[in-house]
Amino acid sequence: MLSLPSWKKFWSSPADPNRLANELSGVPVSARPLGIVVLSGVSAILLQTSLFPHSPFVPDFVLILCVYIGIYHRSVGGAAAAFFLGYILDTCSGAPVGMHACAMSTVFAAVAAISGSLWLNNPPAVLGLILLAVGLKTAVFLVFSTFGQLATVLQPVIARYVMWDAAVAMLLTPIVFIVLRRREPESG
Amino acid sequence: MHGWFRRYKVFLSCGFFLALSVFLATLNASSPYRVDPVGVLFLEAMLPLQIGVTVASRGVEQVWDSYFGLWSAHRDNDLLRQRVGELEQLAQRAVEVNLANQRLQQLLDLQAKIESPTVAARVIGRGPALWVNRIVLDKGTQQNMAKDMVALVAEGIVGRVVSTSAHTAQVLLASDPSSGIDALVQRTRDRGIVVGTGNGRGTLKYIPDGTDVRVGDSVVASGLDEIFPKGHPIGSVVRIGMKDRGMFEDVEVRLHVEFAKLEEVLVITGRPQ
Repeated sequence: MLSLPSWKKFWSSPADPNRLANELSGVPVSARPLGIVVLSGVSAILLQTSLFPHSPFVPDFVLILCVYIGIYHRSVGGAAAAFFLGYILDTCSGAPVGMHACAMSTVFAAVAAISGSLWLNNPPAVLGLILLAVGLKTAVFLVFSTFGQLATVLQPVIARYVMWDAAVAMLLTPIVFIVLRRREPESG
Repeated sequence: MHGWFRRYKVFLSCGFFLALSVFLATLNASSPYRVDPVGVLFLEAMLPLQIGVTVASRGVEQVWDSYFGLWSAHRDNDLLRQRVGELEQLAQRAVEVNLANQRLQQLLDLQAKIESPTVAARVIGRGPALWVNRIVLDKGTQQNMAKDMVALVAEGIVGRVVSTSAHTAQVLLASDPSSGIDALVQRTRDRGIVVGTGNGRGTLKYIPDGTDVRVGDSVVASGLDEIFPKGHPIGSVVRIGMKDRGMFEDVEVRLHVEFAKLEEVLVITGRPQ
């Protein structure tokens, strides 16, 4: 039985030796309800679309949530939650329809795939996933920018955007993970 | 087959949602309008929350701005106070420069009137007590200063040089009791000697009794002592004394020069005309 320090337990993946075995045998990896995550997602969208647009840089809480979902809610519900969070973000922010939805689905898929193979019980691994998520999101945005007028706006600032996005996301990740891990009941 | 679906259902659902988002994006890219029927429902559902957050955030923002506005005003206040102090100093300096300019201009005017060579000197020292009626100038023998030269300002005679060094000169003021200037009352041409009384005033001695000297008459240097320039003002009569003490009147003269405020003087280095 592994025991993690309390601060680490709050925001890193719990040690679950049966995880891979459960997945291979078809047992759902996580049976936690997604309610709290969805509520957090709605709050994150509100923050991103109504509160932080006044600030010079908008932290991407939804991206962090999708990473969280990919680690702790690797299920069809998790995939749907990631998609709908991105979709609602598109709707509420006026972004091209499908852009954030695609980005968040991609992030979820990648994180779910990695967390299924790796045991993410340490903060550096989670932060690495966040970096990967920012990269994936940016890549999706770049692909989407080739469709319309977005390229002229996005591409000149993409390097600075990625840098800030990654830095802010890495700073906020521990906070978001700690809050969610405290709120969510231990199960699964 | 069923087991395969169960095993990969997460990734299959990911693929489905990815395909759905790409489909939505493609649909919108090919349409001039935003095609998002479901999104409208989400938007309507989120609207009250967005309004609430916006209103609350603006409230917080206003409070925040007010707080920082006050803080900024406080800082600006400090800066402006400092700036006002600096400007006041500058203004004071400008006033000083202006006054010095006026005094020097008066000296220049005086210099133009005097045909003899002159040297402008700055007062660098004064007598340590009220009864010491001497000043020290910053020019000495190196600048052709010598004993018995006359120090003047536009208002009147200051005194005469009584000692010199290489770079300084001491002037005995006209207000000193040991000083004497051969003078005459400008209007009546009555002649006498102005002797200082030590308090910025002097006495015009040896004015014969019965002359028509009046209060307010100007007293000027007679030039007969061959030291002080003829006609240069000394003071004005302020009081005429009792006549029962002999053959001369006791005439009190207020000297024009304010000795306590002297800063620059003109010294006649040549013989007065």
